[in-house]
Amino acid sequence: MSTIALIAPALRRSPVRIAVWAVPIAVILAVVPWVMDSYRTIQLAYGLIFAIAGLGFNILLGYTGLLSFGHAAYFGAGAYTVAFMVKYLHVQSMELFLLGTIAATLLVTALFGYVCVRYTRIFFSILTLALSQVLWSLAFKFFWVTGGTDGLRVPTPKLLGAAFAESEDKIHFLSHAYYYYVLVVFVVAVGVMWLIVHSPFGKALQAIRDNETRARFVGIRIRRYRFVAFLLSGVFTGIAGALWVPLNGLVTPDALVWTFSGEIVFMSVLGGFRNFTGPIVGAVVYNYLKDFAVGFTVYWQTFMGVVLVVLVLTLPTGIVGTAKLLLATARRRRSQ
Amino acid sequence: MAGVGMASMAHAQEKAKGTIPDKPFKIGHMTFFTGAGAVLGEPMYKGNVLAADEINAQGGLLGKRKIEILKADEAAGTDANTKEMRRLKLSEKIDMFMGITSSGNTPALGPVAEELKLLTIFVDGCTDFLFDKAVPNPRYIFRITNIQSADGSTCALGVAMTWPDVTKVAHIHPDYSYGRNCFDHFSIVTKKMLPHAQNVSEAWPKLFSTDFTPHITKTLAAKPDLLVTSLWGGDYVAFYKQALQHGLFSKMKVATTLALGAAPHSIGKDHPEGVLSGVHANYHFSYPAGNRWPLNKTFVEKYKAKFNEYPNFQAEGAYTATHALRTAVEKANKLMGGWPDDDAIISQLEGMMIPGPGGYVYIRPDNHQGYKDAITGFSKNVPDYPFPILDPTRIITIPIRNITAPPGWPKGEPTSTYTWIDQTWPTVKTA
Amino acid sequence: MDILVIHLFNALLYTSVLFLIAGGLSLIYGVMRIVNLAHGNLFALGAFVTASAVGQWFAGSTSAALYLLIPTGAFAAAAVGAALEPTLLRPFYRRPEEYQLLVTFGILMILEDVMRFIWGPYPLTATTLFEQMGSIKVGEFIYPRYNLLVITIGALAAVFLWAFIYKTRFGVVLRATSQDMRRASALGVNVNLVYIQAFTIGCFMAGLGGAIIVPGQSAVLGMGVDALVLSFIVVVIGGLGSLDGAMVGALIVGLLREFAISTFPELELAVLYLIAAIVLLVRPAGLFGRTT
Repeated sequence: MSTIALIAPALRRSPVRIAVWAVPIAVILAVVPWVMDSYRTIQLAYGLIFAIAGLGFNILLGYTGLLSFGHAAYFGAGAYTVAFMVKYLHVQSMELFLLGTIAATLLVTALFGYVCVRYTRIFFSILTLALSQVLWSLAFKFFWVTGGTDGLRVPTPKLLGAAFAESEDKIHFLSHAYYYYVLVVFVVAVGVMWLIVHSPFGKALQAIRDNETRARFVGIRIRRYRFVAFLLSGVFTGIAGALWVPLNGLVTPDALVWTFSGEIVFMSVLGGFRNFTGPIVGAVVYNYLKDFAVGFTVYWQTFMGVVLVVLVLTLPTGIVGTAKLLLATARRRRSQ
Repeated sequence: MAGVGMASMAHAQEKAKGTIPDKPFKIGHMTFFTGAGAVLGEPMYKGNVLAADEINAQGGLLGKRKIEILKADEAAGTDANTKEMRRLKLSEKIDMFMGITSSGNTPALGPVAEELKLLTIFVDGCTDFLFDKAVPNPRYIFRITNIQSADGSTCALGVAMTWPDVTKVAHIHPDYSYGRNCFDHFSIVTKKMLPHAQNVSEAWPKLFSTDFTPHITKTLAAKPDLLVTSLWGGDYVAFYKQALQHGLFSKMKVATTLALGAAPHSIGKDHPEGVLSGVHANYHFSYPAGNRWPLNKTFVEKYKAKFNEYPNFQAEGAYTATHALRTAVEKANKLMGGWPDDDAIISQLEGMMIPGPGGYVYIRPDNHQGYKDAITGFSKNVPDYPFPILDPTRIITIPIRNITAPPGWPKGEPTSTYTWIDQTWPTVKTA
Repeated sequence: MDILVIHLFNALLYTSVLFLIAGGLSLIYGVMRIVNLAHGNLFALGAFVTASAVGQWFAGSTSAALYLLIPTGAFAAAAVGAALEPTLLRPFYRRPEEYQLLVTFGILMILEDVMRFIWGPYPLTATTLFEQMGSIKVGEFIYPRYNLLVITIGALAAVFLWAFIYKTRFGVVLRATSQDMRRASALGVNVNLVYIQAFTIGCFMAGLGGAIIVPGQSAVLGMGVDALVLSFIVVVIGGLGSLDGAMVGALIVGLLREFAISTFPELELAVLYLIAAIVLLVRPAGLFGRTT
């Protein structure tokens, strides 16, 4: 692993190249509330939140090669942490919610991760699924704490100390103030994740993914790296869960169920899990797709199932992966 | 048919006052169309459709606005349902929202409807939690079928009236909030009415299980006098068939909160007679029968003709809710002319007392909850129907005000009605 | 004392059905290294088809005919499996495992809705045979004879399967392919044929589970997903890919569930997940499984 091999990828991704497409997108996202109606803005807010979850999920799948089928556990842990902070500590500040979520999901992820990273491939997936179901059953059973199937309510949080007055229009709040809050967290998350995957740590993860034996020979402590990746993954997803709760105002055990984990996987694969931006694109598109399907037919499950099957059969690299392929082919053809 | 008017909720309307737009009136109807809850959800939608058809046959609301119903599947999950409600209002621009079966969804969607300023009549999702905690001061949302706590209370009172000598009670309830609510309210009412009764066995099967043999065995082992169960739908069908083969019904009395209420035709004639068969404290199509309550007669006939099955309490609820809307719109129009805005409709819904197929429904102005007298009865096989109905000679009716917390009672845990019963009901003294 | 016998019968009833489902799942994994997330739906399909056959289409027939109709669900599930494997699963054998999980997840979603579309929203029962067989006396209690039939069929299936895998030539081929697919192929085994056969057998087992249990219970939408979770718990405990593991796992789950319901009713939902979690912590490969 020569120095050149380490620097070259960073050089290729110089700040200018990134800015070329990142800045326009950031600008577009920033003006959305003024251009689109409130419903679509709120939809996009959901999309950005799930994009954060997807980013977290994908550090395990795309960069470490571990498919977790239990990420709903961390999403739900984040959501329930917010609800518990409301119920028991009477907290209202969104910033405190986020801090609390980070702490709580670190705990849960550390516990689950310690068990799971000992194994790979199918066993890892099954382990994550089973553990997330344990959490689900606890949320279900301890109904005097979690509200059971009725769930726990979360009133509108205070953003940066500014309280939301009852007389204000909640829809306007969600599509403006709250949207911007989510957008900022999203940008920060993208930035942090970018740094992580392009750091030596991130490179080591990819090395582990590509060839575990060789990575071990180079001296990388496999289990430790996987564990840290697991922690990061869980925390990102937990933050998404915390941001998600105020949009719905309620958290129920539905946020922990394994089919929800399946949706997170679906999102990343839809966008393309071999690319950094894949999960982001996938989450936003999936969000719109599912909303469309549910509004279009009562057989929305068939619709989503067919999309998934066709996707995996024909476009395994996802939207972003396929787009890159097409772009590369076009570029090659042009240069010929 | 001289002299016998066909009483129907869709009576001929008087001419509307003022100018009415003829834009269709869009109702967003969300209920279970797929999944195990569909047994309750489909009939709810059908009730809505039947009422809408009646209204549209007269030109629509106020004779001008035809009702259009947009369907949405509640099985998509609470998260998706929230988004779909927002989409229906903000994108499809529905005028009103109706439906919801699951008690997990009304507490989630109620606040969202309030945020959206979306006129809503929930048909079910009857959890007390909605108006106790989630939306204690509703403005835009209403709920038409009886509040959940009425189920357990009605069942307990039915038991106290019929089998006052029971001392050992066993329970089988599905492990989710409805089952717990029934258990809690049955217990608190029994504590007052039958203070010597004791619980000897409990079982909490997962909702939508199909195997109840262990729970039946456990119950039999405890040798109770009475089994109380809030199993419903497919669960209840599997349960009673299995219980029959274990001889359970011959060894104890059985009281249920929802056995005959979900899908009347799914219970076979092998079902034992004399079981206290709850109908969610709301409605069974066979009562009132004949010409005793013409609104029910017409409703059942029309429903059967259109859908080739008998309506359940969800269908009756949706049907009544749609007609409540129509009545509110007509009354508001008479007062003010033109198409009434939401505030006017809300003001007419609050305090409305409307006769429906299931009885008089009163919509309390403080909590927007619909109240009608609770009923329960005993299963009986009759030659007229291929399934058991409520024995017409033994219907139990309980004035709803006697079993639900009154206006002004402070909210309590687990429900206001629970604390009200606990604190205000006297305990029966046995001689 | 009699009550213990009945509890045992209940546990064995549950075990029998679970073994069929989980055994099918494990068999498929053992041979093909595929975790079929849609496996539970094949159980549900078996239940629905048999319920329709026995309860509706041929409802008036003689008892003998009805008994013969019970396995129709199993054959329907096998047919669906035979159709699915070459079309939707074969393209993924050379691909990473993730894709297999995803495509079977997609199939799960589709099958759920297909069953809703075909059979509608109401639960389906077909209890003629269940009632006809009556009950036997066990001390002061009575117990449905049909349940004993199910237990017998489950036991026979286990024996038959064991014999099939370990005592027949086909079983040898199956085991060879599961141990080392390439070498088996090099030795002349038609791996594609083995795969489709294994998958069909696995689906048949799941469908059989649904078919034999439905006369005593009912076919409801969503039962497939529930069954999948349960069979996952069984293979987690017993070990993925091992038929012995499926048997032992099913037995443990059946007994534990019965015990929990009769002694700690509140724990019913959680106890199975808890035991799965404990096994995962102590021996993640399961009692009979290997992590390779």
